[in-house]
Amino acid sequence: MNRDKMSYKTSQFIMFAGPALLLFTGTVIVPLFYGLYLTFTSWDGISLSKPFVGLANYSAAFADTSYWQSLGKTFIYSFFSVIFINIVAFLLAYAVTSGIKGQNFFRAGFFIPNLIGGIVLGYVWQFVFNRAFTALGASIKGGTVPSLLSTESGAMFCLILVSVWQYAGYMMLIYVAGFMSVPEALKEAALIDGCTPGQALRKVILPLMRSSFVQCLFLSVTRCFVVYDVNLSLTNGEPYGSSELAAMHVYQTAFKHQQFGTGQAEALILFLICAVVGVTQVYVGKKGEVEA
Amino acid sequence: MKNAKKIVAVALASTMAVGMMAGCGSSGSKGGSGKSGDSEGIRVYNSKVEIQTQLEEMAKTYTEKTGVPVDIVVQASDGTVTTDLSTAYASNDPYSIAMVDAKDIYSLAKEHAVDLSDQDWVKNTDYSISVDDKVYGFPFCVEARGLIYNADAIKKVTGKDFDPSQYQTLDAFKGLLDELKKGGMKSPTGIMKEDWSLGAHYLAQVYEEQEDPDAFLKGLHDGKEKMADNTKFNSLMDTFDVLMENNYAKDSAISAEREVTEQKLAEGEIAFMFGGNWDWSVLNQYSPSDNMGMMPVPQDTDDGSNTKLVGGGSKYFFVDNSVSEKQQKESKDFLNWLANDAEGQKGLVTDCALVPAFKNNTVEVSDPLGKSVKSYADQGLLIPNYNYLPDDHFTVLGGEAFQKYLGGKSDRATFAKDIDTYWQKATLTEH
Repeated sequence: MNRDKMSYKTSQFIMFAGPALLLFTGTVIVPLFYGLYLTFTSWDGISLSKPFVGLANYSAAFADTSYWQSLGKTFIYSFFSVIFINIVAFLLAYAVTSGIKGQNFFRAGFFIPNLIGGIVLGYVWQFVFNRAFTALGASIKGGTVPSLLSTESGAMFCLILVSVWQYAGYMMLIYVAGFMSVPEALKEAALIDGCTPGQALRKVILPLMRSSFVQCLFLSVTRCFVVYDVNLSLTNGEPYGSSELAAMHVYQTAFKHQQFGTGQAEALILFLICAVVGVTQVYVGKKGEVEA
Repeated sequence: MKNAKKIVAVALASTMAVGMMAGCGSSGSKGGSGKSGDSEGIRVYNSKVEIQTQLEEMAKTYTEKTGVPVDIVVQASDGTVTTDLSTAYASNDPYSIAMVDAKDIYSLAKEHAVDLSDQDWVKNTDYSISVDDKVYGFPFCVEARGLIYNADAIKKVTGKDFDPSQYQTLDAFKGLLDELKKGGMKSPTGIMKEDWSLGAHYLAQVYEEQEDPDAFLKGLHDGKEKMADNTKFNSLMDTFDVLMENNYAKDSAISAEREVTEQKLAEGEIAFMFGGNWDWSVLNQYSPSDNMGMMPVPQDTDDGSNTKLVGGGSKYFFVDNSVSEKQQKESKDFLNWLANDAEGQKGLVTDCALVPAFKNNTVEVSDPLGKSVKSYADQGLLIPNYNYLPDDHFTVLGGEAFQKYLGGKSDRATFAKDIDTYWQKATLTEH
């Protein structure tokens, strides 16, 4: 059997990748292009007719200042979330691979927040911020303490804190895998050659774990950019629309304001930004990867 | 060759990874409801989530009596009327009857709805919706908004029975609040910060109390009217300032939770809250006193608006023209049963605890807020809803501008200007 033959390769491809490709096409590629088509219409979401309007939706999206404001907030939110998620996740991973007692228990414990859906998690934390923290503050300071969620910067801080809490455990798992994949022999050799544990970590373990960093950064960046569920249930864009992030703005425009075309155009812009940031980051990260 | 393979492998792997992530991130399944497949039976879309169980019970009763299966499909938890209906149309599986808001009837009727002008119930209601002289919208119930009061809580402090008709002016109302405060009720009012309550209900009342809301909004749009100079705006905002001043959550007004506010009202810790009879479903969870009710928003005015609640028909059924003739007929029968049959009437009023929109439905309303609404409606003391506000009105003005005002981040002049700016840019809904 000639394995270089086109027919052989095609059948192999269909056998292994066919089902996934079919699903992917049906759930991602087709909607993407359909969405692209919708950006050229002024469809309201229900009407039978989809009038063609050319690039009007794009100019509307570019003129929509509150969209750009929400995009700016998304950048700020993503910047801090990504940094803190990864720092916390790395430290947790370091702690739970260092051989402390009950480390499997801790691994499970840190991972659990990620198993709670974002909507539930938002409501739980809303309760914590609005009732538990205010009660705590009141008992320490006396009088009434306004909730963190009622100020603009406070709401943003809460969003970041909750995201870090949610994702750190998940990213921790990837870092744990990274730590475990570094061969024992190399670590031992480094120590025998006179490295302090700190030096071994910096000079040997970290470079070998680079792919974990690339993955974690990519995952956290792309997730933060399109965050919606926590945003919806924790702050719902309040106070006065100041914590409305890009994905939520897109949803509002498309479904609540019934401007599907403009919403789609804004979603597409978000997608492009997200793709560019993600791909650049992976490209840069991959370039410096070393193999053991 | 090896390189190409690698590229294909990476492409596929990332394809699958992205696919999985997209799967996690998407809004989930669109509530695939079991379709019976045969032409018998009708599907009813319910956008009033809180009465789903009651509607299902009513549907069962109806099926037992007539043999027509009725499937009640509730609004998806992450859906809106628009998304749910468009999903139904996109999958070629429309609902026979859909419960939507008044504004949706205006936008949907011509393309999707069946003309119901010849139906029996039309003559028995003032609240049906017509487009181009054809009746398309079946009014499901009557809802109205105003100030909700807890008479027991007031009596406990003042020692007198509370008579809302004595507090129609702002001065009288302020006097009562002072009396309550002196008597030990620290802060007698509560305010819901929700964008729909501020934007679609309180601010909308400013438009609805104008002599001609359409002309007024057109004036705002053309820049001929200025909110800051408007008597109704200033009068209603004066009242709002008093509510704000006495708000139990004065310092954190924009993070006050609806449930907490309603609990305080039900338990009598506060005495007043602006809301509507739909709030009963929340109040009812906190064993409220029976002596509650609704009164007009107090204002120093003599145009009579302080003797009326604002409201009218709420939630409308339309019959879809894309379902089979037989289903259309069965749908009409179902609506007739709701409006005219004793069992249907009782289900609506007693089981769902709603205020009926039909004059021939004389079943007694069960909850205290509904009773108030019914009595105002029967006396013709309802200022009609304005159903043509743009879709982004309540999020932009209610959620942003009005919340800023409530949070003390802007003053009345700024708020008025925000409203002017919004309307100058807004597209007026044609009707």
